[in-house]
Amino acid sequence: MKSNDYKDLSHIMAPKSVAIIGASSNPDKVGHVILQNYIDAGYSGKIYPVNIKNEGTILGLKAYTSVLDVKKPIDVGVIAVPAMAVPQVMEECGKAGVKGLVVVSGGFLEVGNAQLQEQLVAIARKYSMPTIGPNCLGVMDPRSRIDTLFLPTYKIDRPKIGGVSFAAQSGAVGSAVLDMIGSEGFGIARFLSYGNAADVDEVDILNYLGNDKDTKVIVYYIEGVKRGKEFIEVAKRVTKIKPVVISKGGVTAAGAGAAHSHTASLAGSSQAYDAVFRQFGFTIAKDLKDLINYAKIFDTQPLATGKRIAILTNGGGIGVLATDALYNNGLELASLTKDSEDRLRKLMPATVNIRMPMDLVGDADDKRYTDALSVVGDDPNVDAILAIVLFQTPGADSRLASSLVSFAAKMKKPMVGLSVGGSYTHAHRQMMENAGMPVYESPDDAAGSLAALINYSRYRKGIA
Amino acid sequence: MDELWDYDKAHALVKRYNIRSVESVYVKSSDDAVRFAAGGPIALKAISAKALHKSKSGLIMLNLSTKDEINAAYRELDKRAAEFKPYKVLAQRMISGGIEIIIGGNTDQQFGKMILIGLGGIYVETFKDFALRVCPIKEFDAQSMLDQMKSRNIIAPDKKSEHMLKSLLMSAARMFAENEITEFDLNPLILHDGTYDAVDLRVMG
Repeated sequence: MKSNDYKDLSHIMAPKSVAIIGASSNPDKVGHVILQNYIDAGYSGKIYPVNIKNEGTILGLKAYTSVLDVKKPIDVGVIAVPAMAVPQVMEECGKAGVKGLVVVSGGFLEVGNAQLQEQLVAIARKYSMPTIGPNCLGVMDPRSRIDTLFLPTYKIDRPKIGGVSFAAQSGAVGSAVLDMIGSEGFGIARFLSYGNAADVDEVDILNYLGNDKDTKVIVYYIEGVKRGKEFIEVAKRVTKIKPVVISKGGVTAAGAGAAHSHTASLAGSSQAYDAVFRQFGFTIAKDLKDLINYAKIFDTQPLATGKRIAILTNGGGIGVLATDALYNNGLELASLTKDSEDRLRKLMPATVNIRMPMDLVGDADDKRYTDALSVVGDDPNVDAILAIVLFQTPGADSRLASSLVSFAAKMKKPMVGLSVGGSYTHAHRQMMENAGMPVYESPDDAAGSLAALINYSRYRKGIA
Repeated sequence: MDELWDYDKAHALVKRYNIRSVESVYVKSSDDAVRFAAGGPIALKAISAKALHKSKSGLIMLNLSTKDEINAAYRELDKRAAEFKPYKVLAQRMISGGIEIIIGGNTDQQFGKMILIGLGGIYVETFKDFALRVCPIKEFDAQSMLDQMKSRNIIAPDKKSEHMLKSLLMSAARMFAENEITEFDLNPLILHDGTYDAVDLRVMG
């Protein structure tokens, strides 16, 4: 199947003009919040507020009774009117030549109104208007500065511009994760919450994000797919180009009663999804926290050559915990070459034991870390580095944090940090993450994220 | 409507894909079974479309070697199978020892035909140690299926057995993909003496 068999969403994500249908000067209305957000985000294209009860101007912009009255090209229509009025509004959009739609209104299949949803799909297809929704939060794009999210900006953090695109069937999961990303070091490329997936579905979105040049990493929360075979075809192509982190909600029980064979009773629907994700190069996230943990390692780190990890730490106990976490996640400790060991012995004080996990001991400062890293980073037996810093110790301060980030930025191998602690630690973690080095809060988060990167690297190599 | 394939037909199918199964024949009488056994241990199974779970219905008699054992078992099987008429009696060579696994196929509503390998035997439902993939599969997939299993080192302890299982998986997946069948079970399939044999074949289509 060719990529032009899937719906083109570029007009929806980067429109030159937008009609907000259901725009209102009443702050309680969804259409008001959406219009306000477009204005607040600094959207530079044309905005046409549309309301059947024409109010003259809305938020200072000239308002229209119908899109048909605008008489200028409209790239996208954002529809926030009661469900019953949606078909008529869509017809008008079709006649006005609107190129794509986002229907945020609810009241369709999710409340059992299948007929209304079918009507929506029929109109979308009649006018070849790719339509996202209904019953969704819609889209956000910090580059084109569009924002259909009817969530006031003071209640939810809006992430900065970056390379991670995030798509979610559920608006609740979408907005919660978006809010979490807002306080992370990485930024987003596109955000899509696609609700009922009546017209534009999981397959179209995966295809679009796969082809999208600004998207480096795809993060996907789904509850199911309707076109399984097409989903696989698109996934095969996309996961060869970029990582896709996926989490699936709504695990259904296997139809055990109807199963004839042992195979059928073992291979239920959620097992089938799990198998598809594994087979076609997805990275499975068990929960929402993993979505974020994995997104940031994929966004900032290169692919790995293997699973041998060097651990440097300024605290012995946490090094032991991290070692356990490595092995629990299928990774292993690197063993340094003889040459590296000799060089380290010359560089390190006698209190440092030259073996993995390498404890640089409690008085380690930025100099000692940099010396150790310069040897370990070059060692051919090391595939990736886990740098543990306990900021509670006297030698660990902002100088160390900045040495680590500049080392990580130069290094060709993946490197992540692990810092456990309170507010001082948190500030440094954030500083390092803003500079492009993921720093995790627990040994298992760090090891799990390294394992995600390493398994994906292995997949990319295996199918190359 | 999907139907359970007759044993002969199922046997011919797996044979076409070079999948080994234990030597079996339909027998018409107790004497037939004795001749087939030729002194070695055999199993007798009553095969009926009405009985999907042979062991649950008591339609399998194992470890029969002597003429007396076979005669007695045959009479008992006739009695137990009476409610599942019509039925046929299958005599199979027994394999002693080995590790039981399951290889099977299922048609998923969303993703189509999928192939499965799992640790078999009496603990299969407890451990649920299995791996699943969409057909067709490549060697990379077969390898990753084995790597995914907790019992990997039990069922594929060396390169040779690993290679054998991977080609078996690929053959089974090809068989599933190329034929008008919706489900199948090779269960148990016994790994023994450096080779394997499918003991029970169940094909639906």
